[in-house]
Amino acid sequence: MNTVKPIVFAFFFFICGQVSLAQRDTVESSGEKSASSLKLSYNSSFIYPGVRAGIEMPFKKIYITKTKKTGRQKFIRKDHYVSANVSWYHHPSFHDNVYITAGYTLRQTGGGGFFGEFSPELGYSRTFLGGTTYQVSGDGTVSVKRMAGYNYALVSLGGGLGYDFSMRYATPIAICYKLNLLTMFPYNNTVYIRPAMELGIIYKPKRFLMFTAKVKRINKNKFRG
Amino acid sequence: MKHFSVILSVILVLLSCQKEKIITGNNVSETFYVENSGASMRVLVEGNTASKTILLFVHGGPGSSAYFYNTDYISEHIEDKYAVAYWDQRNAGASQGNSNAAYFDLPVMTGDLEKVIQVLKHRYGKDVGIFLIAHSFGGMLTTSFVTKGDNQNLIKGWIICSASHNYPLNDNLSRDALMLYAEQEIASGRNVDKWQEILDFINDLQPGTLSLEEADKLNSYATDAEAYFPEVNPFPMMDIIKANAVKQNYAIVSTFLNLKYSQNADIQDELRTYDFSDALTTVNIPVLTLYGRYDFVCPPALGEDVLQRISSADKFSYILPNSGHIGMYQDQEIFCGRVNEFVEQFK
Repeated sequence: MNTVKPIVFAFFFFICGQVSLAQRDTVESSGEKSASSLKLSYNSSFIYPGVRAGIEMPFKKIYITKTKKTGRQKFIRKDHYVSANVSWYHHPSFHDNVYITAGYTLRQTGGGGFFGEFSPELGYSRTFLGGTTYQVSGDGTVSVKRMAGYNYALVSLGGGLGYDFSMRYATPIAICYKLNLLTMFPYNNTVYIRPAMELGIIYKPKRFLMFTAKVKRINKNKFRG
Repeated sequence: MKHFSVILSVILVLLSCQKEKIITGNNVSETFYVENSGASMRVLVEGNTASKTILLFVHGGPGSSAYFYNTDYISEHIEDKYAVAYWDQRNAGASQGNSNAAYFDLPVMTGDLEKVIQVLKHRYGKDVGIFLIAHSFGGMLTTSFVTKGDNQNLIKGWIICSASHNYPLNDNLSRDALMLYAEQEIASGRNVDKWQEILDFINDLQPGTLSLEEADKLNSYATDAEAYFPEVNPFPMMDIIKANAVKQNYAIVSTFLNLKYSQNADIQDELRTYDFSDALTTVNIPVLTLYGRYDFVCPPALGEDVLQRISSADKFSYILPNSGHIGMYQDQEIFCGRVNEFVEQFK
């Protein structure tokens, strides 16, 4: 019993502290018409070439302004997108892989323009074998199979870094570097895992495929002046 | 219209890799795939296709890959005279497919080999002479092939390098060889702790067919044991991968994941009881056996069993003096020399 009392008091004071701090934070919510972005990347499996093109449709934006005790302000933007991509890579003599994915992207950008992002995606992959493919019938007749390859379900997890020029300049462009881990299945009764690197450019037009995104503006104020 | 032309261009680029191209020359390198029962199996043909002679590697495992036989030495000492076909079996190397576990067994793989040979003859001519080079499990697969129907008519000769045709016999011979060397080495005071561990394991085994778990453990000791002899040339697998992975466009992840799957697939258990010794009497094509003196995985006595049982008039046997289980690499000079002599005689 003696040990419970201090814990209860500590919890009470912690809650009171949080409430008093929160009283100085402000949160505004609204809706905002936002344009979609277009993305084009070199999609390399380290040494093998490829291309990736996609669209990012915003559905939620959070602008956070933190005012520190010193009065200095820090700005963070969190963009939530629904993304759709079409990708291709070429692995000579193994396969060409064309895959389409849809996913969610969370991008957190600092006031300076640097950002980090994370994006899980689901999709469909169609491979094309890296050589002429033959079938042999029961009587020994050999024929070439056209469009030989396989269909796979695909899951991709990606994380990356970039720089958004539009944060500081009037240039509606961002550059990004991202590492995606592709998992395709069923591949020979198991899975096929492949890392793919993206080095790309994101174009953010003012008006293109507009969506109403939820906007939340949060001011966190610790300044006591 | 613009979008249509872009899509059409992409499709044409993808399909251009699959267009049938057959090159006859003395320095060829071309990849094609053979599809059968849910698997598309990679075949790389390199070397002198103008020679009308092809040496087809049948790799071990099941689940290993033919990538590892494609060394610079073999390129320079065999491919200059003949063409070499590096075939990745189903669920191995760069071979691809979806769910095909139901077809992963020895009879289907025997059919795969038959189809690979038919495709080689389709591409390079009915008159092309084909020699099989079997390694490890490839011995089981090629024995199943040559002892079936009139399949021997499809090939000119059979080269067996550190391979097996009878797993129960293989287990007994591995046990005997390890026990013999263990006693010798312990008596000589060399690697006493390691050999004693092997000896204790073998002494604990019950007579008769081993369980899969026991066979795996025996195989693991047999693989390690060759390294205890300084006269055995090492097989630096990682160095081979580093040297060739980019140059030969290895499908590394596929090779690794296929191996992991195959090592745990039902076929491993099914193979435990396969014994082709009695069927070997039907073999009458030229046969060359090459076994490493220190191969405990497939001991040289397996080759003696083959030679005693086959009906071939032309049969040859060599022991590779500085080899364990990978004779084509560990004694590559002797291996290539003997193979070339044999092929030249019977092509």
